[in-house]
Amino acid sequence: MHALERAVVSILVASREPVDRRRAVRAWILAVGLGGGCYGAVMGAFGGLSPERLVQVLYSAVKVPILLVATTLLAAPSFFVLNTLVGLRADFGTAFRAVLGSQAAVAIVLAALAPYTAVWYLSSSDYHEATTFNAVMFAIASFAAQWQLRQRYHELEARNGRHVVLRRVWLYLYAFVGIQMGWFLRPFIGDPSRPPSFLRPDAWGNAYVVVLTTAWRAVTR
Amino acid sequence: MNAFRELDRILRGEPLNGAARPLSLSPVIRVLLLLALGYGVCMGSFGLFGRAEPEFRQVVASAVKVPALFGLTLVVTFPSLYVFNTLLGTRLHFTDLARVLTCGMAVLVTVLAALGPIVAFFSATTVNYAFILLLNVSVFTVAGLFGVSFLFRMLAKPTREENTGAANIGTVFYVWLVAFGLVGAQMAWVLRPFVGSPFLAFTWFRPRESSFFEAVLKSLRHLFGL
Repeated sequence: MHALERAVVSILVASREPVDRRRAVRAWILAVGLGGGCYGAVMGAFGGLSPERLVQVLYSAVKVPILLVATTLLAAPSFFVLNTLVGLRADFGTAFRAVLGSQAAVAIVLAALAPYTAVWYLSSSDYHEATTFNAVMFAIASFAAQWQLRQRYHELEARNGRHVVLRRVWLYLYAFVGIQMGWFLRPFIGDPSRPPSFLRPDAWGNAYVVVLTTAWRAVTR
Repeated sequence: MNAFRELDRILRGEPLNGAARPLSLSPVIRVLLLLALGYGVCMGSFGLFGRAEPEFRQVVASAVKVPALFGLTLVVTFPSLYVFNTLLGTRLHFTDLARVLTCGMAVLVTVLAALGPIVAFFSATTVNYAFILLLNVSVFTVAGLFGVSFLFRMLAKPTREENTGAANIGTVFYVWLVAFGLVGAQMAWVLRPFVGSPFLAFTWFRPRESSFFEAVLKSLRHLFGL
């Protein structure tokens, strides 16, 4: 418990003091795996905890950390090349550690918000309301992580103004990939009227096309 | 590894800051071919996931066609660039031009390859052909803008030091850039399919018809359901 607490504090406080690399990696894995997994488990419990629905809890517990890690891995090469091109290669290590730290922060904040989601599930059985509530929880965790990323970037930005642009580029890149990753990895909540599944049979869709066509239909109706 | 180190020197902006030792271009060209091939694989991966039956030939075709696209566009536009450059009395010799263009292409292709995993991910998870087409066009546009901006920064650097033909060199490169863009877009159209429509059977090349710009407009209309 002491190790876990130390890991959580080291990530949330974003200390500027030099850290033991191996310990930091362990803290990151713990935070993303346990934090994301904890929120995922609660998220997937909407359909109940009966033996046949328990598998959805397990699926979602695995999928939230996958969502965070896979999105970071896909966006990282572009972030590296762009940092190099604008002349910030020397700071890339610090910048990427800041970005990884914010991912861990998302997972920890999500874990801290998990009890609210559980209470919401106990209070309402409406699937669409549950979706909206989870979206709000993710939005809160993302804003908190963004705020923390700014703190971690503070020193870099004071040294070179280009870091402000690159921090925003990371945000847009991450959101662009993350939205599609979230769409692809559905269901997280698990519609009670459907059997539990790791991916939906219609997973091969596109979040942006759905939003565009829905918005277009709403305007032209 | 040496090739990647040379590429890294370009990306770090050494040609802009006056490199201590000259760049070796041939290893850079080799690694650029490899990166372009890598992006081609990402681009063609829609052929594996976007169809009822995976089409592996599309991956092979795109992997070959992306490096070919850049190579052929350069082959078409480089002679006129060199001739007009010499005609207008600018100071760049053949090797200087080759160095400037290689550096510009290095930035373009590296940005393209860096965005490759994102394109592959969307290709694997999306069935909408129009979206994938527009995503690839956007990725090429972003990479192109980075390449062009690097190229002009490189040209601007020596201009401050010597003024012979300095005014002309910008004009020559602006004209060349327009030619490169137009030829590149049309070359891509001639070499299509790169992504491979899921509604059509696989072909290495499509018959000559329409143009690149008409196709982009069509994809936009299709995406918005017009």
